[in-house]
Amino acid sequence: MDTITLAGPLEARLRAVRESGFTQIMLSARDLVEHPGGEAAAIAAVRSSGLRVTGFQVLRDFEGLPGHLHAYKVDIAKAMLGMCRALGSKVLLVCSSSSAHASGDPEVLSRDLRKLATLAVPFGIRVAYEALSWGKHVSEFPKAWEIVAGADRANLGLALDSFHMLATKTALSELDLVDPGKIFIVQLADFMWRELPSHEERINTARHFRVFPGEGVHGSEVAELVRALDRMGYRGDYSFEVFNDDYTQLPAPLVARRGMQAVKWLTDQVSRRSLPIRRDRPRAQRSSPAGVPESTLKNGRPG
Amino acid sequence: MTTRESNPEPNNPLGIDGIEFIEYATSQPQALGSVLQSMGFVPVARHRSREVMLYRQGTMNLIVNSHPDALPGGSAPAATPVLKAIALRVRDAAFAWRRSQDFGAWEMPTRASAMELNIPGIHGVGDSLIYFVDRYKDFSIYDVDFVPMPGAEARPAAVAGLHYFGVVQTILNDRTADWLEFYRELFGFTVLPEGKFFGIMPKGTLLESPCHKFYLQLVEPPPGAEDIEWDEALLRIGLGAPDVRAAVRVLEKRGVVFIDNGAVQPSEKGALTQVYLGGITFELVVSQLRPGAQP
Repeated sequence: MDTITLAGPLEARLRAVRESGFTQIMLSARDLVEHPGGEAAAIAAVRSSGLRVTGFQVLRDFEGLPGHLHAYKVDIAKAMLGMCRALGSKVLLVCSSSSAHASGDPEVLSRDLRKLATLAVPFGIRVAYEALSWGKHVSEFPKAWEIVAGADRANLGLALDSFHMLATKTALSELDLVDPGKIFIVQLADFMWRELPSHEERINTARHFRVFPGEGVHGSEVAELVRALDRMGYRGDYSFEVFNDDYTQLPAPLVARRGMQAVKWLTDQVSRRSLPIRRDRPRAQRSSPAGVPESTLKNGRPG
Repeated sequence: MTTRESNPEPNNPLGIDGIEFIEYATSQPQALGSVLQSMGFVPVARHRSREVMLYRQGTMNLIVNSHPDALPGGSAPAATPVLKAIALRVRDAAFAWRRSQDFGAWEMPTRASAMELNIPGIHGVGDSLIYFVDRYKDFSIYDVDFVPMPGAEARPAAVAGLHYFGVVQTILNDRTADWLEFYRELFGFTVLPEGKFFGIMPKGTLLESPCHKFYLQLVEPPPGAEDIEWDEALLRIGLGAPDVRAAVRVLEKRGVVFIDNGAVQPSEKGALTQVYLGGITFELVVSQLRPGAQP
């Protein structure tokens, strides 16, 4: 689960997530700075929640900026890395720049992400770069992969988000080019309409009208994405990235339970139709579309 | 080596030229001083205003910092000594500092420095620092900050030819590639082929400095070490000796105890001291390196 889906105080959201059966939580910088008790209180709440931190989001518009804009963004990145470290998060999410001031030169983008990766090394943080479907120069994951591969750093990889992949209708076969070990996090969401041709529609839908997998009109595609990731050997974390205006005006426990229903729906979709996987590996070692790394699956607690 | 020193190689972007000094932090400097003296280090100077001592032997400078704000963030050191900093000799310290940050290093506040001279530093592993020093040939940084100990020889000879050989760094699981790239990107270190080791502690990954004068060893937790407390930090220094057995004999006479229990025992390749003061050891490694001139 992701805190952005839920309303209420951080402690109440963490409790709702935990009590509905999830074992992990994706956090945003706002969760820390908007906490009435300050950052330290927010960090203490997360650490005592019993939930593992899946990742920390989000650094925006970082790469490709010139001169003083770059220096400014490096300062922002350092502050985000510091918060990420304090939370005990091992992954920082970075979404592709939508800035008109950003360069589109792949070498420049790779160089900047390489620098970010180096900044993250002493803290043991991995940087996950995500193609925003309205990104200025990088709007689809194959392009993001090109930048990540060009940077060639062990702690720099991809974040995949089904919303953006569906919005741009990027072919799943493009995943064949990606090293599964370089996918650091997969975010899953569905949405209510078939087409999102313009950037404006993508932005509006992404920020207000996402739904859990199984609740929208792209359920089969989301399930197929998870199957494809499993086939290619992805064994990392999944998280529901659902921005939804309805959900942020409903009680957090109710929304978290809907999230858990989505886990069950997705698990059912994927396990029913992935016979080759069942043949290949013992059941206990399979990653779950619910989310989650093998150790969590063994405990029967999706993330 | 002379050619390398005057004309830094393309893969030595900072013009690194060896280790200028190693710094320990501890709240009990006399206890550490006693251990260091048995290892051959001689106290040669005291800081003018801070609780900082300079030890030397041969080409090696070693600083013991026990000032109450010795650690990053201004916190006081504990009794157990920690390896707090490596100072690298570079062609131009200001350039090295700027370039490191351009490539993704964190600058460190210089008030945490042992020196009153402004010695630029960056964030290393754990809470450690990496300093850049460029004034080591015709000028000694120690002349500014330190007062010589009365009667002490300014440049005591090394015991058994000891010299800095390298530093061992512990890292967490699956972090070798991260740190390898960190040292390659920022400094131009290169990884030695797997299986090439010095000394008697053959584990981890060895990186060679671009000046070919010292090594860094990255060590992930050994298998089955789940119960061992293992964090990312500078663990110990390695001292090179042309004849390890001779060095062990001399050091044993000075009171140093070497581990001698099967898997780890002194040989012609290397030796490892017992743990002193709850946390520090010294490793000897056979080496003909004679890095750098006298400071």
